Amino acid sequence: MAAAAATAAAKGNGGGGGRAGAGDAWLVIAVGLVRAYLAKGSYHSLYYSIEKPLKFFQTGALLEILHCAIGIVPSSVVLTSFQVMSRVFLIWAVTHSVKEVQSEDSVLLFVIAWTITEIIRYSFYTFSLLNHLPYLIKWARYTLFIVLYPMGVSGELLTIYAALPFVRQAGLYSISLPNKYNFSFDYHAFLILIMISYIPIFPQLYFHMIHQRRKILSHTEEHKKFE
Amino acid sequence: SKHPDPLHTLREVEILDAKTREKLCFLDKVEPHATIAEIKNLFTKTHPQWYPARQSLRLDPKGKSLKDEDVLQKLPVGTTATLYFRDLGAQISWVTVFLTEYAGPLFIYLLFYFRVPFIYGHKYDFTSSRHTVVHLACICHSFHYVKRLLETLFVHRFSHGTMPLRNIFKNCTYYWGFAAWMAYYINHPLYTPPTYGAQQVKLALAIFVICQLGNFSIHMALRDLRPAGSKTRKIPYPTKNPFTWLFLLVSCPNYTYEVGSWIGFAIMTQCLPVALFSLVGFTQMTIWAKGKHRSYLKEFRDYPPLRMPIIPFLL
Repeated sequence: MAAAAATAAAKGNGGGGGRAGAGDAWLVIAVGLVRAYLAKGSYHSLYYSIEKPLKFFQTGALLEILHCAIGIVPSSVVLTSFQVMSRVFLIWAVTHSVKEVQSEDSVLLFVIAWTITEIIRYSFYTFSLLNHLPYLIKWARYTLFIVLYPMGVSGELLTIYAALPFVRQAGLYSISLPNKYNFSFDYHAFLILIMISYIPIFPQLYFHMIHQRRKILSHTEEHKKFE
Repeated sequence: SKHPDPLHTLREVEILDAKTREKLCFLDKVEPHATIAEIKNLFTKTHPQWYPARQSLRLDPKGKSLKDEDVLQKLPVGTTATLYFRDLGAQISWVTVFLTEYAGPLFIYLLFYFRVPFIYGHKYDFTSSRHTVVHLACICHSFHYVKRLLETLFVHRFSHGTMPLRNIFKNCTYYWGFAAWMAYYINHPLYTPPTYGAQQVKLALAIFVICQLGNFSIHMALRDLRPAGSKTRKIPYPTKNPFTWLFLLVSCPNYTYEVGSWIGFAIMTQCLPVALFSLVGFTQMTIWAKGKHRSYLKEFRDYPPLRMPIIPFLL
């Protein structure tokens, strides 16, 4: 879902150099992943090699919400907030908080999906800013999501699911009665609720992107005819 | 013999769809002093699915809606008037919405207070809390919503008759949801009474009662400001009732008192969900108060400058 909302959030072109710069962040992560894999030969501890930049840059993406709110970027504040918040949630409240899931394949699955998505997305902005957008980049942005979204969503859901038993066992982030403020919170139940919320939300985002794809790619085709 | 009076020539009204410009209705022999409300009624006759409350008629497809009281011959139109129609969607009366959204919390809280089965463990079914504050909280909460219901029926004078139907689902989810959430903890067998005991409860009760009286006083003052059946708007001023003196400092003292009541209730129950409910309510009421304050400023040149929207001197 974090992956899905990514492209859905930012439909517009441009958006300032800050955005293009953030694209470098994802390249750093991608390179980090490849190098670590080549060095270790296995992918089980890859999370640790990109843990710090991933946390830093994805949290830094909170700035994007601000950019939308101020208006220097034409994307929807709601969709952007949604995407950034869900990613920050997955990185900090799930993967970071539950150490036992850090070696799961599912973590790699969503990290790779996010990385590829973001590299393409930022290239799209950079080239648009320079007014020289190759059709390939536009095509990639509006086509690869078809595979990357489900991939990211699967990674996210599997990671949350894997974290559940550890959360329950440790009573992580949970508070029970009785207490002074007459309040209780069950993080385990909360995570299950989050997983359920993917059911109504993910299809909406996915089909929104498919609709965008039809609109934007066929528009380009027509333009090409008249050139 | 009668002289033909040019001012009384009958008019024609054509109604077009604001989006498609399709001609929906043509009314001839319309009295020049007919109101928009009467035209809406005529339009409903040919299109019964669009009852007057869901019609928005305007002179310009993208312009503002005409008011029901507007008179045809006073509008900038010729002998044939062209009006544009927009469907506001299914409507529901404000009174219905208020009654539903307030009756819910009243009833739901009592379900938790009486510990009906399937909420808490079976051994607690229909038991009663041993804490005085829990009984007091039930009285306060119930009083609050009974007061709201009675005000809806007998006090408030609404400027709009209806609102979009989807609002009732949104509003009821909010009120009923929070009521259940608060009631669950306050009436829980493991409820912890306030840290400072009876002192805290007494103080909180005083705040609650004062704010309830204040809120009611403001509602009565606002009602007296507007005669029955009219939609006039005037600047509210303090009356002899000391609770209304808050008008000197804020535009919407009813909201100020409402927030105060819930803060009182939060202190009384020392329950975090109540505090959160107060915070959310405060946020929403601040938005409303700022809007109301802005329209007062726009409408009245002599609006008292000392007044703030909801919190004296601050907000």
